[in-house]
Amino acid sequence: MFCAINPDLDHLQDGQFDFHFSAKDNLTTVGLPTRAGSRILEGYRPAFDAHAVEAMRQAGGLLLGKTNMDEFGFGTFSTNSAFGVPRNPFDLDRSCGGSSGGAACATAVLDGHVALGVSTGGSISCPAAFCGVMGLTPTYGRVSRHGLLDYGNSLDKVGLISRRAADLEMHLRNIAGPDPRDPTSCAQPPMGKSAPVRSIAVPKDALEGVSDEVSRSFQDALDRLRDDLGLKVETVETPSFRFAMPSYYVLGCSEASTNLARYCGLRYGVQSEEITEHFDKYFSRIRSENFGREAKRRILLGTFARMVGFRDRYYMKALQVRELIIQEYQRVFQDHDLLLTPAMPFTAPRFDAIDDMDILEVYKADYLTIPPNISGMPHLSMPCGYAQGMPVGMQFVANHWQEGLLFDIAQRWEEAFRLRAPEVTA
Amino acid sequence: MDRDTVTRVAKVARLELTEEELVSFHSDLEKVLDYLSVLDEAPESGSFNFNPIPVEDVLRDDVPVQEHDPAVLLRDMRTYQDYIRGPLL
Amino acid sequence: MRIGLEVHVQLPTRSKLFCSCPTSAQEPNTAVCPTCLGMPGSRPSMNRAAMEMGLMLAKMLGCRIPERTWFSRKTYFYPDLAKHFQITQYDTPVGEHGVYKFQGKDIRIRRVHLEEDPGKIKRVGRAGEESSLIDYNRSGIPLVEIVTEPDISSPAEARQFLSDLLTEIRHVIDLPEDGERSVRADCNISVGHERVEVKNVTGLKNVERALTFEAVRQTKLLRAGKKVERETRRFDEERKVTLAARKKEFEEDYGYIGEPDLGIFNIGDMARALALKETPLQTAERFQRDYGLNPQMSRQLVQTSMDLARLFEHMAEKVPVADVLPWITGTISSLWSELESLDDEMRDAMTGLVASCSRGEMNDQECQMRLRALITGEELTLLQSGAEELEGTIEDYLDRNPAVMEDYRKNEKSANRVIGEVMKASGGKYSSSQVVEAVRKAMESRR
Ligand SMILES: [Zn+2]
Repeated sequence: MFCAINPDLDHLQDGQFDFHFSAKDNLTTVGLPTRAGSRILEGYRPAFDAHAVEAMRQAGGLLLGKTNMDEFGFGTFSTNSAFGVPRNPFDLDRSCGGSSGGAACATAVLDGHVALGVSTGGSISCPAAFCGVMGLTPTYGRVSRHGLLDYGNSLDKVGLISRRAADLEMHLRNIAGPDPRDPTSCAQPPMGKSAPVRSIAVPKDALEGVSDEVSRSFQDALDRLRDDLGLKVETVETPSFRFAMPSYYVLGCSEASTNLARYCGLRYGVQSEEITEHFDKYFSRIRSENFGREAKRRILLGTFARMVGFRDRYYMKALQVRELIIQEYQRVFQDHDLLLTPAMPFTAPRFDAIDDMDILEVYKADYLTIPPNISGMPHLSMPCGYAQGMPVGMQFVANHWQEGLLFDIAQRWEEAFRLRAPEVTA
Repeated sequence: MDRDTVTRVAKVARLELTEEELVSFHSDLEKVLDYLSVLDEAPESGSFNFNPIPVEDVLRDDVPVQEHDPAVLLRDMRTYQDYIRGPLL
Repeated sequence: MRIGLEVHVQLPTRSKLFCSCPTSAQEPNTAVCPTCLGMPGSRPSMNRAAMEMGLMLAKMLGCRIPERTWFSRKTYFYPDLAKHFQITQYDTPVGEHGVYKFQGKDIRIRRVHLEEDPGKIKRVGRAGEESSLIDYNRSGIPLVEIVTEPDISSPAEARQFLSDLLTEIRHVIDLPEDGERSVRADCNISVGHERVEVKNVTGLKNVERALTFEAVRQTKLLRAGKKVERETRRFDEERKVTLAARKKEFEEDYGYIGEPDLGIFNIGDMARALALKETPLQTAERFQRDYGLNPQMSRQLVQTSMDLARLFEHMAEKVPVADVLPWITGTISSLWSELESLDDEMRDAMTGLVASCSRGEMNDQECQMRLRALITGEELTLLQSGAEELEGTIEDYLDRNPAVMEDYRKNEKSANRVIGEVMKASGGKYSSSQVVEAVRKAMESRR
């Protein structure tokens, strides 16, 4: 689950730190490699800590290491890393989920651990659900992205994975706030306390395409939210959510294909000692040799979606669709505090089953996590049951900047629901 | 999307594809694009933004500051005198 | 002949466009940071001064300024472009549809936009397979790009247009004198129907040369019944010719997308809040209108110095223009470079002298000497005795060479001979401006 361990761990005293944490490998760290799961960044030594890493260190945290991930965040199962595949602690033949798979895994097996994760389209909710831990993705712009290796700049959010609701709140307060090094973090209002959650909206088609076992756990959880927590649970219609997936892949890949243009064998990462090739040839060779398959696929898709002749149909349309989805959420939040769906349509799949999935099946696995992600809504993935020993997750979504509602529900659900730890130890 | 388009896109993106990659990416992209056509059914709203939240007028004062020692930033680069060595032109 | 220009001017900010690196650096790769080196995890933040300068220029050029603007990523691969995308403006430039009045005609301005400069490449090795040595100090320096419609009709006009434009820009955004060297232009020129673009020409002189070469080349082709090919060429400064740029393997597709890291900017309000100073050429035009100055004189005035122009206005409020002009364009202009600073005290003293001369309280010679003493700080008594001596020398020379006066009546240039002789005779005792003025005066009185 770790792809780099803090080299100073052995000399450090136990009492010196208040807590231990890890950082997803796409957050820069001084003294530890930062490769975002990609071979093309082999050898890169960042000169600065990412904002979130810096803030956690300042809060008294000990950085244990960097957690493994799908290359640049491109994946749902953490199987797209150049540095091995993390395994699910509840069943080693199954995936941790992705792309913050290592982060969720570390949280599941290390007591008291808190992991910095990053979500673009569901990369915190998904692994948190598969590994039976809590994953918080804050509002877009809540946490500075300074030091984050970009996937999609209008989608990326730095968040937290933990087993304790109180940790999520405490550490989000540590890492949130305006940072001049990331202008998009300067638009946020302060993070306040909120009134208790009273009503929850569930989309009418929330269980369409969801496996039976996940459906059953989710239905049970709904009953308990209603009966034990006394919440009002109502069904709502969200017709534009079906456009979220396609516009997410268009926007994410368009932005990613420009972000990844810089990786070319110059200045950092993989570099030839002597370059004897023409620049086009050299850049193409380095990129072709060192990007993984999924990275290439998304670069191709993104480059295509913004090319002359296709830009209006794909890129520009996707931008407009995002506005529709935001409006849809805001309509729901006029009458309800939170929106709830399962986090993933199935429990952590076996690796052999993943091998058999075609590209669309993989992409479509994220259809529940994408709507809040594309619209920048804060969301929380909480364990809501177990099916044949594997954790099932549900996902609460709040309006922009309303993380307070998520803290409230996290705490109340934590009291009502007994979290299981995997039987494997680190 | 025909195969020539895949070849052209790969060129624009500076990726050299093997024959096997070309065939498999071609088939993947066709599937994905076919799926993306759902977007055509979405209503035109006309309005768009580049961020999901409003980010407006974040401006910095024009004051020179250098937070990082350039020597540290350049430590892993291939240099000649103080220049960074690049490929042929 | 139709010529359109895409002019790039570096803005004189202290820090770069999207990072705080200084814009002044000597040694290569010393004014660099993670952002302008395109390091993973870095991101841009917008320089307020650069935005304001862009808006001032858009305003100066009479452009329509949108209420909101944003930046875009223009993606292409080249070793000097750290991120392999340039942050520029695509859909919403800071200005569009402007007009620049130039020598009685309108040069339409298509757009004005802000963007970052790439790094600088030093080419080393054999032509055709040169390697690159890169200096990223220039990476991220703010540029304004001004794009004209093809309304310019000759290479000489293009140069004059650029020269005028720079005079204005220099004044509006305090561009330093040497800013001219860093002006780069892409020049589009069509003699017949097909347009040729000469990329990245540096400096005004080269713009004229490149365009002239291209005009001749295209004309020859057309006369010979050949076709001009639509293409991109580059200008070889040493050989002063344009050359076909190496054909790209394929057409680059920039794939513009919005830049999400900067957000949007409400520039309508910002632009309205910015007061635009009157530009030098506008001042010149006003002088023609308000004071009846001829075009040449008013241009010369503002081009010598805007302070001189303001001094003129100040004097003209108190003294008849006809009595002010000879002093402003004569003695004061010629000594202008020796003036240390023009504070209110100095301004009032000069105005006082000119005023009393105008009222007949002192003669021209007296006034001239006093102005000189005031401006250069020389001792008045020394000047007085020196002036008498100089006058004597000149009168002497004219007495001995009566033919000179006859020449002078036909051609004023013959005064130069007298000036030269007097300079030689006095062995550098007087400044050239002093001699010039005394000679002219003496000769005029004998005319
Ligand atoms: Zn910089």
